[in-house]
Amino acid sequence: MSATTTTPLISAAQVRTLTAVLDEIVPPSDDARFPGAGALGLAAYVEQTMAHTPDLQQVITPGLTTLDRLVQARGAESFAALCREDRLALLDELTATEPAFLPTLTFHTYVGYYQHERVLEALHLEPRPPYPKGFEMQSSDLATLLEPVRRRAER
Amino acid sequence: MADAPVDVLIIGAGASGAALAWSLADTRMNILCLEQGDWMAPETYPAAGRDWEIRGFGDFSVSPNTRSRPEDYPVNDSDSPIAASMFNAVGGSTILYAAHFPRFRPSDFKVKSVDGIADDWPLDYERLAPYYDENARMMGVAGLAGDPAYPPKAFPLPPVPLGKLGETLAGGFNKLGWHWWPSDSAIATQDYEGRAACINAGPCLTGCAQGAKASTDITYWPVAIRRGVTLKTRCRVREITVGPDGLVDGVIYYDADGTERRQRAEVVVLGCNGIGTPRLLLNSRSKQFPDGLANRSGMVGQNLMFHPYAMVTGLFEERLEGYKGPMGCCLMSQEFYETDRTRGFVRGYSMETLRGLPPVSTALWGMTQGRVPWGADHRRAYDAIFDRSAGMVIICEDLPEGHNRVTLDPELVDGDGIPAPKVTYRLSENSTSMLAHAVARGKEVLEAAGATETFAEAPLPIAGWHLMGTTRMGTDPATSVVNEWGRAHDVKNLFIIDGSIFVTAAGVNPTNTIQALALYIGDMIKKNLANLFD
Repeated sequence: MSATTTTPLISAAQVRTLTAVLDEIVPPSDDARFPGAGALGLAAYVEQTMAHTPDLQQVITPGLTTLDRLVQARGAESFAALCREDRLALLDELTATEPAFLPTLTFHTYVGYYQHERVLEALHLEPRPPYPKGFEMQSSDLATLLEPVRRRAER
Repeated sequence: MADAPVDVLIIGAGASGAALAWSLADTRMNILCLEQGDWMAPETYPAAGRDWEIRGFGDFSVSPNTRSRPEDYPVNDSDSPIAASMFNAVGGSTILYAAHFPRFRPSDFKVKSVDGIADDWPLDYERLAPYYDENARMMGVAGLAGDPAYPPKAFPLPPVPLGKLGETLAGGFNKLGWHWWPSDSAIATQDYEGRAACINAGPCLTGCAQGAKASTDITYWPVAIRRGVTLKTRCRVREITVGPDGLVDGVIYYDADGTERRQRAEVVVLGCNGIGTPRLLLNSRSKQFPDGLANRSGMVGQNLMFHPYAMVTGLFEERLEGYKGPMGCCLMSQEFYETDRTRGFVRGYSMETLRGLPPVSTALWGMTQGRVPWGADHRRAYDAIFDRSAGMVIICEDLPEGHNRVTLDPELVDGDGIPAPKVTYRLSENSTSMLAHAVARGKEVLEAAGATETFAEAPLPIAGWHLMGTTRMGTDPATSVVNEWGRAHDVKNLFIIDGSIFVTAAGVNPTNTIQALALYIGDMIKKNLANLFD
């Protein structure tokens, strides 16, 4: 449950489903340097984004509801309990009736994931915003680099 | 409600309004500027937060239609392949611009004489050169002297660093034997006039939290205000009014509380740029000017020029550290700037290299290109492109055409009920041919630099941030709106100082030339003060 909302937009069970879906969108890397998006806790980020984006609520909540119905139709306990192959099959089925769900969720997952400190570190970046530290840059030997331009202009 | 009259009223506190206010301040005239936006608070700029990239798609978007801040007005650009953009605040669009700051070249002022097309300006590079110099000192322009593409020019600051990415791209230009030079940039590369030096953070396009990028709220305005100019914010001008003598006598505006007020002035100056200025003139109808103020020629709003942009991106095998450095300023090539009719078009373009895509933008770009899928292949696909992209925008010279124009939308209004502008624009055959050539050359040089794959988009739909030509300058009142020093032909005490007075667009960013013109017009006003209304 988001700390910024008083009424949860999605149920605790849907949060678990969402977390498992996020781990399919951005799975953990084989070398474990990059966590999965679900394991990173991005379900909370998605819920926070939904809280101030009514259009997003219109896509995510019905998508999760439909996904849970598909899970029940299979007789499974939960989406998270399914094997990967079955999860991907269900996401395919979901796309037929809720075509906006995966692209929309993927967009917001990427946004949340690639600003997360752990991911920035895994990308060999400092886990911070650009300001106030900025970046050191070496100066170039412009005289040498520009020599061909100058020579050509003199001809 | 009427305010005490002033000598000079400037509408708009952006690039041109700020320069003019500073210029006229030493006359000790009573000068007031009304700005519909407000002062920006740099501490709120996105660069200090981890969500900085996505805010560029939201409250710091280039598009007023996306931002919808209270100070924005909507623009109907549905009839244009290029979306118009501007920013309303003290500093205007310099708050969000990349600060790429080239001058026009001498030929840009005389395309009719040189190439037999469009029209010559009623002034030339030599006339404007001292004002380019003055603007360089005031804004703090970083660059390297000696560019063979230009007459000699000096810079108060050294150029922005190329970095590994810039050196890689420079290698491509050198391999092909093409012109390139470090960018002229309105960025303080060292501490300058009380502003801290650039820290190469990258998010220039969502406001410079460091204060190194030269927006006019931190360059011209502090000095102008110290010298006695009054600047009132959150004041939106609805119309400019005309007295029985046919001269402007002031404006009607809405103040910060939404109260309608009357401000009288001896001289009115418009600095609202290529869409805002014609919009205000067309909204200022009177008995003397039934078709809009200063519009007896019918030229107000016509000849809208954008710069059709191409964006070409290459993927490289090694990491380029492209997240370091000012996003839009690195190096520029004018190899294909002047007319060569064998290419199939007239005039030409500048190639301006960009820094690399930061992490979130890489993922989103990859998503739209189908290169970064969700699922099992995500990691491999993302890692193959992150920090391995570099490219350029290519700025094509747009030619003035009467059917490209700004009019008033019949239905759309802003938050104060003032009719909004409508943009009607068609890409010309010349632009289409030029863009195709530009894309091909862009790909060629990126491949020469080592790119293994290239991508292109042209025209770039969001790139309508250069707005020019809609109250053009000229000596003939039948075919122009203002004279050679920005005075309206039809109204002796009305001046226009922004990009709308451009006769032709050149193939470079306009802000430096806009400000040089504003400074020149300021000097001309001062020289002619004694007989301004003769």
